[in-house]
Amino acid sequence: MEVTLTHYLVLATLLFLTGMTGFVVRRNAIVMLMCVELMLCAVNIVFVAFSRLHGDGGGHVFVLMNFAVAAAEAAIGLAILVEIFRRRRTVDVDDLKALME
Amino acid sequence: MPELGGAALWPYLIVGGGGLLVMVVDSFVRTLKKDHLSYLTMFVLIAAIAVQIAGETREGTVLHGMLVTGAYARFFNFLFAGIGVVTTIFAGGIFDRDGRHRPEVYPLLLFTVLGMMVLAAANDLMTLFLGLETMSLATYVLAGGVRGDVRSSEAGFKYLVLGGFSSAFLLMGMALLYGFAGDTGFAGISAAMTQGEPDTILVTLGMGLMLVGFGFKVALVPFHMWTPDVYDGAPAYITGFMATAVKAAGFAILLRWVVLMQPQLAFVWYPVLAVLAVLTMSVGNVVAIVQSNIKRMLAWSSIAHAGYLFLGLLALMSPARGGSDAMMRTREMGEAAGSGLLFYLIAYSVMNLAAFGVVNVLSSERGKEADDINRYAGLSRRRPVAAAVLAVALLSLAGIPPFVGFMAKFYVFAAVVRAGLVPLAIIGVINSLVSVYYYLRVIVVMYMNEPAEDSYDGTEWVSFVTAGALALLVIYLGVRPDAFHHAAEVVVRQLPF
Repeated sequence: MEVTLTHYLVLATLLFLTGMTGFVVRRNAIVMLMCVELMLCAVNIVFVAFSRLHGDGGGHVFVLMNFAVAAAEAAIGLAILVEIFRRRRTVDVDDLKALME
Repeated sequence: MPELGGAALWPYLIVGGGGLLVMVVDSFVRTLKKDHLSYLTMFVLIAAIAVQIAGETREGTVLHGMLVTGAYARFFNFLFAGIGVVTTIFAGGIFDRDGRHRPEVYPLLLFTVLGMMVLAAANDLMTLFLGLETMSLATYVLAGGVRGDVRSSEAGFKYLVLGGFSSAFLLMGMALLYGFAGDTGFAGISAAMTQGEPDTILVTLGMGLMLVGFGFKVALVPFHMWTPDVYDGAPAYITGFMATAVKAAGFAILLRWVVLMQPQLAFVWYPVLAVLAVLTMSVGNVVAIVQSNIKRMLAWSSIAHAGYLFLGLLALMSPARGGSDAMMRTREMGEAAGSGLLFYLIAYSVMNLAAFGVVNVLSSERGKEADDINRYAGLSRRRPVAAAVLAVALLSLAGIPPFVGFMAKFYVFAAVVRAGLVPLAIIGVINSLVSVYYYLRVIVVMYMNEPAEDSYDGTEWVSFVTAGALALLVIYLGVRPDAFHHAAEVVVRQLPF
């Protein structure tokens, strides 16, 4: 079977929806961060697939930038989570209620 | 547009390099006094403004079409650097007072400003994304970085998680547009849209997903859920910064984006955006009424103001769908709505900074955030100047003449009416009337109630003077808006309608 653009797009869509569903359903903050990473992975697949389709290098560059930004975001997210865990002993987002009224 | 040399990049280099410099100085200079970093940060921002005034003024692109320089970028660079200076003053004042020294705030502020400058000048999906994320990542830390404060950590985490979630949507939208155009440059995408079949599913979906991402950044209902929590949990000087600069940056790119992509947006997403604008205004104002926390109230009010600003964008889009006055050409409508929007951003920034400046000063006294509206009781007797400044800022936010908030609303709503969107303008005016109630309530508490034992107090005079100067600016711009409005018109004229 030949792998076409459609296959990549379907894979990316599934991955994106998996990440989105996970983000909405799961209450563990670390899992939520991982779900965001999944969504970014889906985006990267789309970029690379289209990059190949158009024969244009821009998509590849974009993917590299995505990696860097996603890593920075995860670093900051985990740092803040560690701070929260030290005080609260939990990473369940339902327990983050200091700001609710 | 001509490709310009590297001279146009100086403001960006100064702000970015300045951020690194402040970080190094903080780490290695042991004999440093606390406020030296604040002076250095201010110096960097003022140097960037000076270079911007003295340097390259031509319209053009730099870095192989990655950034657009010219009047539009300069306008926003001035605005962001100005807000940065004011925030630095507020931050410096509070650190001096109660030992809550946070040296990392200064480099992060500079990096945020750099991200905003890049965002406002972006001419390529890559620079757009890089600018947006540079701004956002630094803001997450600014909001969530107060050590040992659970509320701040929680605010930072909520902001980061939802921000990352919305960035994923924005990126997916970009990827689909890239798939459609085969180019990441705005010019290439715009050209592909005018040539090709415009309403393919890729473009429609891509645009929609990108609007979700932008909507999150400017706190459009229903992507606004993070705003009250984040504005509440972050320290007041950071909240003021987020409410003004971050929102202005979001609208800076939205405005240029809408101008470039007008046919697409106008035909497909226009009705959705109109509904969202109405929802944003109404939800923001109605929920603000029941708040007893001034920072949450200002957060909901900032959501409502995003709705008013969005009305301006809708007016700008309307000619493309043939909805406007037949006498109005696209360019005239664009200029009227665009200049109104830019003026609104200036006005909104000045009055909001004045309000948060007062909240910040009052927060500094006990090391707690001064957020309970009831404890503003009798402020007019203890601190008459602070009460007056806050009153002016709130009246201006409510849109009462002669303050600048009135003129800003006037320009935007006038453009909306000229665009033939009279129902939207009426809803906007009704919303402004509703908002008067909750702004006035704070003023009533300050002026009519007796001061109580636990009423807030603050004495840090540098921030007082700054907030007072901003309040005078609110009045001055309200009485004489012509010069700034004219400047906004000149800036908007450079956009490619």
